[in-house]
Amino acid sequence: MKFTSERERILEPLQAIIGVVERRQTMPVLANVLLSVKGGLLSVTATDLEVELVATTQVTGSSDGDITVPGRKFLDIVRALADKVVVTFSVTGDKATVKAGKSRFTLTTLPASEFPSIDEINAQLAFDVEQSALKSLIDKTHFSMAQQDVRYYLNGMLLESDGKMLRTVATDGHRLALCEMELKTKPGVQQVIVPRKGILELQRLLGNEGTVAVQIGSNHVRITLGDIRFTSKLIDGRFPEYNRVIPANPNRIVTADREVLRAALHRTAILSNEKYRGIRLALRQNMLLLTAHNPEQEEAEEEVEVSYAGEEFEVGFNVNYLLDALSAVGGVEVELGLTDANSSCLVRAPGNASGRYVVMPMRL
Amino acid sequence: MRAILHVDMDAFYASVEQNDRPELRGQPIIVGGESARGVVAAASYEVRKFGVRSAMPTQMALQRCPHAIVIKPRMARYREVSERIFSIFKDYTPLVEGLSLDEAFLDVTASLGLFGSAMEIAETIKQRIRTETGLTASVGVSHNKLLAKIASDLKKPNGLCEIPLAEVLHILDPLPIRRLAGIGAKTAAQLEENGISTFAQLRTATDAVLIPLFGRYTPRVRDRAAGIDERAVVSDSLEKQVSAEETFASDLTRHEALTAELSKLADRVGARLRNKQLMCSTVSVKIRKGDFSTHTRSRSFNPPTNETAALLRIARDLLDAWLAEQARAAIRLLGISVSTLSPATQLDLFAARDPEQRLPHRDNPKSIDPTLDLIRDRFGSSAVQRASSLSPTIKK
Repeated sequence: MKFTSERERILEPLQAIIGVVERRQTMPVLANVLLSVKGGLLSVTATDLEVELVATTQVTGSSDGDITVPGRKFLDIVRALADKVVVTFSVTGDKATVKAGKSRFTLTTLPASEFPSIDEINAQLAFDVEQSALKSLIDKTHFSMAQQDVRYYLNGMLLESDGKMLRTVATDGHRLALCEMELKTKPGVQQVIVPRKGILELQRLLGNEGTVAVQIGSNHVRITLGDIRFTSKLIDGRFPEYNRVIPANPNRIVTADREVLRAALHRTAILSNEKYRGIRLALRQNMLLLTAHNPEQEEAEEEVEVSYAGEEFEVGFNVNYLLDALSAVGGVEVELGLTDANSSCLVRAPGNASGRYVVMPMRL
Repeated sequence: MRAILHVDMDAFYASVEQNDRPELRGQPIIVGGESARGVVAAASYEVRKFGVRSAMPTQMALQRCPHAIVIKPRMARYREVSERIFSIFKDYTPLVEGLSLDEAFLDVTASLGLFGSAMEIAETIKQRIRTETGLTASVGVSHNKLLAKIASDLKKPNGLCEIPLAEVLHILDPLPIRRLAGIGAKTAAQLEENGISTFAQLRTATDAVLIPLFGRYTPRVRDRAAGIDERAVVSDSLEKQVSAEETFASDLTRHEALTAELSKLADRVGARLRNKQLMCSTVSVKIRKGDFSTHTRSRSFNPPTNETAALLRIARDLLDAWLAEQARAAIRLLGISVSTLSPATQLDLFAARDPEQRLPHRDNPKSIDPTLDLIRDRFGSSAVQRASSLSPTIKK
């Protein structure tokens, strides 16, 4: 097996896939990347058994073959080479050689047959979506995914198509983020949970131009973005019925300038308990009073002009949850829908139903 | 200028015993393990005259004072008294940093206008401890933790001592360096070899002597010797971990016995978390073998919990995994500590929809914990026990 290429042509695919190569692997071959040459096309594959990334690039002077080499070392070498230099990669026996200008490196290899790859995913549903749309769906919800939760089905993002809308939902049990948009094509009905790591890798790869092809199988989701193919296992579990926890008709509606409220919360947060982040919201006629204090007895108070006509009442929240929701919801104005001090708050932009954020209170 | 108090209960465990049992008053008593391996947890002043000190093996203490009365510690009772004392502290400032059950720093800077001078607050607290618990405390008053702690030690027992700023060097300079926290017997001996045995000598010692001993901490050591200490009093509400551990009378090897001990520890830690309205997301198990080698294993998880059963399940997994590698290890001590604490006050989206059900430790309506906590609050910690914590010898 052999190929020759300008440094940049192989650096780019390597950088695109390296995030999947874990620093602490359970199997030695997972530290490697699979290099496959077939008819002048080089594909580079990395996997952690959950997420697989394949990037393809054109090479010259090639002879077909497959081999795996240590991923991070190969990337570090290619990255450190001079710009535009011509790189030749060849395999002799169980060693791989990388030559460029006056540099020469010999790397250990493991046979390609040991490399676990996901081939056919048996797609049951396939559709195209604008890259920018998928990126925005993920950007606006990913922060609410749980981490290392024993409710394993929360450690990822729900990707759902109801035949009309494509929707992402993430929740860690304290707050929930939902974002949806209408699809131009009309795919079937499907609901899958993509693991956290897959979502974060995908988010890194998505740009704003062009479309991506989404395929959903019973155990995998595959997304093809130009020269890069992303495949992730799915979480086998039932996502909670998110509709039940989104308040349908909150009776206390507060409308505020989003940026003004965000800035006020941000300032108040400085003197909230560094760990627990609790702040108090007191609602008065057309006024929202924010207060926070910390164990050092320092205090912050902010008055925010809002539009509110309901009864006076107080409720506590983790300020970070509110700030995350306010950043993601977008728009000039924001609407907080509250019920009482023990019930969730619905954050959304008036007149824009695509993003909905639910935050549970803290008892203060 | 800060106003810091250091309150140190006098021979705390021993005094609680003498206070609870009048027949022990004036008697030389040792609170500690009686077995061959037991150590002295506390010694009454009557027995200290014979050279008995805390942490000394009980057998050695009995050689020095053969007529001493050895009493088994009743930790639950000491904790109860301690909580009473800490609640007195909290009437004067929220900034209470507990060092142990019987020792705490109080930052009363913000309370001076309300409750009088630092000395007046110290006197009031001493009086209240006396009348409300029958015990005596020694209180040190000064401008930082270091000075407050030295002050409380100067007039023990039942002392009240202030180190005003103007007298810091006058009081500190002649003190032996061992009084400085962090200078143990070994460092002290090394310093003494270099002719340094007092705070004054330490304060003025040259780099040539100090740097080989303290390295980059040299400036800090010199500051401390001069009574300079900027450390803040960190209140317990920002606690980082809650833990419980137990040293066994004889090393345990049987799995059932270890599991029973683990169950008791999980119960203690769970109750303390619930009492503080906290949840944890990390459980660590500490295992000390007969040869004193100590091992810890920990696991993080979500959502946070404060349920005894959940803590025990994780602790048992960790212990079992460790035992699988160290079959038949003789275990001297087991401990459970929990960390990554979060407030139990954050409500959950998917918990029962009824607001009543969402109260902190009622999140799981099936949990028996709230009931056990109530029974123990009312009838004492040994009023009810989990079957899983019964030692297998009793089962026979």
